[in-house]
Amino acid sequence: MFQHSALRYTALILLAVGAFAQAVTAGYFGLEVLTEILLLAMLVLALDMVAGFGGMVSLCHGALMGVGAYAYAILTTKAGLAPPVALGGSIAVTGAAAWVIGAIGARAHGIYFIMATLAFGQMAYSYVFEAPFFGGDDGMGGIPRIDLSLIGLDLNDSRSFALFCLALLGAAYGAAVLILRSGLGRSLTGVMHNEQRMRALGLTVWRVKADVFGLSGMIAGLAGALAAQHVMYISPGLLAWTVSGEALVVVILGGLGTLVGPMIGAAAFVILKHEVSNVTSHWHLVVGVLLIAVVMSRANGLFGWIEARWGARLERRLSDMTRKSDAEEITTDA
Amino acid sequence: MLETRNLDKRFGAVHVTRNVSLKLERGERRVILGPNGAGKTTLFNLLVGELTPSSGSVLLAGEDVTALPVAKRARRGLSRSYQKNTLFDGLTVEENLGLAAAIHTGAGTRLWGDSLASPEVREIVAEVAEQVRLMPYLHAKVSEVSYGVRRQLEVGVALATRPLVLLMDEPTSGVGPEMAKGFHELLNDLPRDLTLLIIEHDMDLAFDVADTITVLNYGEVVFDGLPEEARGSKLLKEIYLGSWEDA
Amino acid sequence: MSLDPGFWALQTLNALQLSMLLFLLSIGLTVIFGLMHFVNLAHGSLYALGAYVAAAAATVGGYWTGFFLAPVAVAGMGILLYGGLIKRMRKSGPMAQVLVTFGLIFALLDLTRIVWGDIALAIEVPSLLAGRVSLFGIDYPVYRLFIIALGLAIFAALAMVLKRTQIGAMIRAGVDNDAMAACLGINVERLFFIVFCVGCALAGLAGAVAAPLLSVTPDMGLQILIPTLIVIVIGGLGSLQGAIAGSLIFGFVQTFGAVLAPQLASVLIYALLAAVLVIRPMGLFPAKG
Repeated sequence: MFQHSALRYTALILLAVGAFAQAVTAGYFGLEVLTEILLLAMLVLALDMVAGFGGMVSLCHGALMGVGAYAYAILTTKAGLAPPVALGGSIAVTGAAAWVIGAIGARAHGIYFIMATLAFGQMAYSYVFEAPFFGGDDGMGGIPRIDLSLIGLDLNDSRSFALFCLALLGAAYGAAVLILRSGLGRSLTGVMHNEQRMRALGLTVWRVKADVFGLSGMIAGLAGALAAQHVMYISPGLLAWTVSGEALVVVILGGLGTLVGPMIGAAAFVILKHEVSNVTSHWHLVVGVLLIAVVMSRANGLFGWIEARWGARLERRLSDMTRKSDAEEITTDA
Repeated sequence: MLETRNLDKRFGAVHVTRNVSLKLERGERRVILGPNGAGKTTLFNLLVGELTPSSGSVLLAGEDVTALPVAKRARRGLSRSYQKNTLFDGLTVEENLGLAAAIHTGAGTRLWGDSLASPEVREIVAEVAEQVRLMPYLHAKVSEVSYGVRRQLEVGVALATRPLVLLMDEPTSGVGPEMAKGFHELLNDLPRDLTLLIIEHDMDLAFDVADTITVLNYGEVVFDGLPEEARGSKLLKEIYLGSWEDA
Repeated sequence: MSLDPGFWALQTLNALQLSMLLFLLSIGLTVIFGLMHFVNLAHGSLYALGAYVAAAAATVGGYWTGFFLAPVAVAGMGILLYGGLIKRMRKSGPMAQVLVTFGLIFALLDLTRIVWGDIALAIEVPSLLAGRVSLFGIDYPVYRLFIIALGLAIFAALAMVLKRTQIGAMIRAGVDNDAMAACLGINVERLFFIVFCVGCALAGLAGAVAAPLLSVTPDMGLQILIPTLIVIVIGGLGSLQGAIAGSLIFGFVQTFGAVLAPQLASVLIYALLAAVLVIRPMGLFPAKG
């Protein structure tokens, strides 16, 4: 069951403050890195919702993000819709696609679910890659950013765009928390723990899986639409299964089923990638060894490890503090 | 309340349920007895829809539910507990009950609002916790409570959907005789209008609870009647002394 | 589009050749899964390693040196992996195993780049198998026929081993029920080890025979991984029939799709996979019922 602990709140505040400070102070390159982190964080947030709380380990979330990006590009450049409408449209399209994938894949478990999602992701990738309508291998360019000049923001400025993405990531996080805490989210967690029992209790399991998968897809679609605006150019590579694989790696490195952990993972992953790339071109070797080490250590990623080590201690100290202040109140009352 | 008509199930050449016709009245408490391999659990799986019968039908509250999937039968008021604990292991006792109750109230599929915090769900959880004596353990995780408490929770989760008919597959399986006795008191305290179908291993304990007794042997109903009749039945003695004692 | 008999013969042979290559890869992966419930995503990387070893050996001692050395070298790598990682991951859940082998893909990808560089290596077809022969009214490369024959031979050999020998019986028992097999006194751990090494050797062999057809690049393992996974999931995890059936389905759908419906070809196989997963979630020939 999803819960906020003192440690999670602390980590969230640190993340938000860090990202905001970076958005205000960083130069052009720093802002690019920040935006990259924010968009990856949004994708892994969507993935952790289904993988960490529903046991639906998806290898198509990268492709869903790609669907969101392409939907936004088509709706703005080909259908001529206003960017805010296109943003909503791309979220809806991605959510619908994800719902269908979730509904069809609901019967599959474990490695079969992974394969099913992989199949759907690759199907989208191959189709986009071949179809001239989507620009094929060349991709599509000239994608406009949303115009927020009404409220005095010029999103063509990287700083404003980074802040915009940060605000939307905050909104997406809030939505994810609300979903996981809703009846639907609780039932999904029940399904992850014991699908047979939930069904025997009268739950239409596939609907719950499909619904949450669809909602998760909407967040992935938002991330995609923002990614399209960020680079203003998209190519089929966005949908390749390795993107989904990388997202899964980030979720695992950060801490599956903690929601905060994967976002920390996203920050660590992007920063590490840029740092390592400065030293060596063998970034994949570093990630590979790191992934093996984390999984073999049996810790639940970086944040899971922190929680196991310090989470309980922090809770105890906090409850001690409140008890002490209660005690003081009592003594002053007396 | 619950009825089967000529229920039959074959797995290939193996005939596990033979022409079973049962009829439970509202509020009736029936115990199913029978040696290992008599097809008791298979019968349960046919009743709740985890297996489809080769022929015959299942009726719930007068309506034919044979074609309905597990979840739909459950929503019509058929609930079951398992012989082997089938719980939400990583969650607390309260959450276990709450998930089940939320399915019953409909809060479990709503996107707005925390199902576990909804007043209706909380009310059911408190009531069921009282019924199956789980009040002291509500905030403990399933993994932290004793096996006996888990057996109580197993029944509690099934009860939290507010069923019309409750099927219990050996609720006292694996607990000591003392606890089993307590368990039977607990069952006797359940609301009288709840229809109960219980698989039980121990004959004496079964007589504590049963209004009526059905005995299965090789998938077939070999006895159907009152406990007093069962006690004196020659056939029953034969089955139990003949095949059960060596098992 | 020409639809004369020669066209059909050519495409059929192409499809068979692709199928047999995939069969060599998928059989190891699927039996390892059936026996150990272990999905080795790095299987494709072992295939790439085999291709590199074959290419490197070929420049020194000719094609056949590589052909025989690659399986041995890759099996050696398999021994290292088994002792270092896989044995320790035996008790972990499938998710952890998938992730560890996913990490292994990344690591092996860069290791091959470090050893052999980023440039594609080429390897010559051996003189014995060079040239073309006339068959069914078309000229077909001998080397491709050799791959088809090799695949069929290995299929026949594996079918024989599984059906007739004691170790085959042990493997079948293990796939069916490993706990029971252990009770029957079969040394399951040793069996796993042997099967894992044979699977790796076959992946290495596949790499060696594929090397002259494709250019040998670091990401060739990544490219073959998805087709291999599709094959074993369509066929059903853990069974020899599944691996051969899945390989043939993939080979024919891919080859004929590409010439008959080019726009749909790439989507077709994924749609087929999705359909199989919906209709028969355990694949066409699952090892267990």
